[in-house]
Amino acid sequence: MAFTLYSLLQAALLCVNAIAVLHEERFLKNIGWGTDQGIGGFEEEPGIKSQLMNLIRSVRTVMRVPLIIVNSIAIILLLLFG
Amino acid sequence: MPGPASKRRVPVSQPGMADPHQLFDDTSSAQSRGYGAQRAPGGLGYPTASASPQSAFLGDPVSNMAMAYGSSLAAQGKELVDKNIDRFIPVTKLKYYFAVDTMYVGKKLGLLFFPYLHQDWEVQYQQDTPVAPRFDVNAPDLYIPAMAFITYVLVAGLALGTQDRFSPDLLGLQASSALAWLTLEVLAILLSLYLVTVNTDLTTIDLVAFLGYKYVGMIGGVLMGLLFGKVVYYLVLGWCCVSIFVFMIRTLRLKILAEAAAEGIPVRGARNQLRMYLTMAVAAAQPLLMYWLTFHLVR
Repeated sequence: MAFTLYSLLQAALLCVNAIAVLHEERFLKNIGWGTDQGIGGFEEEPGIKSQLMNLIRSVRTVMRVPLIIVNSIAIILLLLFG
Repeated sequence: MPGPASKRRVPVSQPGMADPHQLFDDTSSAQSRGYGAQRAPGGLGYPTASASPQSAFLGDPVSNMAMAYGSSLAAQGKELVDKNIDRFIPVTKLKYYFAVDTMYVGKKLGLLFFPYLHQDWEVQYQQDTPVAPRFDVNAPDLYIPAMAFITYVLVAGLALGTQDRFSPDLLGLQASSALAWLTLEVLAILLSLYLVTVNTDLTTIDLVAFLGYKYVGMIGGVLMGLLFGKVVYYLVLGWCCVSIFVFMIRTLRLKILAEAAAEGIPVRGARNQLRMYLTMAVAAAQPLLMYWLTFHLVR
């Protein structure tokens, strides 16, 4: 069972990359998950779908620059050490 | 003979340089011209010769300064670490989780193996802060999970050794694997708590503590399996799985379903139902992980 912390880090990096790559106009709007489509309801509690949309939007905004740095480091390390 | 030697040495003696009876020449100061005359009283020189090289080394002004500088650097470094450690690791918060005593540990272990008769699962509060684990058996602590984790890694090494599959790096692999599963569990539960918008006072450290309690059952199962065979392993693990399931449900119900469960009213409504499903999913994941992390150890 070789599930190590390192593979967890790799999986996390790949997942965050996947979220960051979702295109706003071509994809999210078409399935109704665009950022301007979720601010409608101000009921007492948001509900899972709007929470998810919020999460995707914040991950895309916050993680853009750190992802560039971490991806560059990962590319260099993989090139050097395989 | 000591007379002229000491007379010769007195004008050039330094503070801390004691004695004219050295067996060797002390090149850190200008004493080497006194060397020849000192060979004769060699026998008298023994008790003090061992003290003089160190005193010669420390008495030298340059090494004095170096030591003072070094110790002031060390003190500054320690101050810096003490000031900034609280930013990275919440030390004072962690201290709360380790404030345990033997009676608490005994009662908590009993509760982990047999939670069926315990009636009151509420954590007592004292002016808005939860009471330390020493005073309340329901409070989460990090001592038992930490000790159980380390014991699990050692027991895994023991089990692998009885199957002739042991090597020292496998210990590190087991530890890393268990830690990775724990991290994954914590992240998954935090994500689902965020999505379901539960307003709980369940902190991350609390969650780590609750998720660490399953290692106790795992150790019990593996040890019994090593002693008595595979059937006993399955029986003990089954018992521990059910106990942990009940323990987690009763503990998390109070944290996640705070308003509904506190008065004991049955869970109703879409929001409460979702929270109940979440609690049951978290509790059901524990036996699964307990089995997954131990079945390869008992053959």
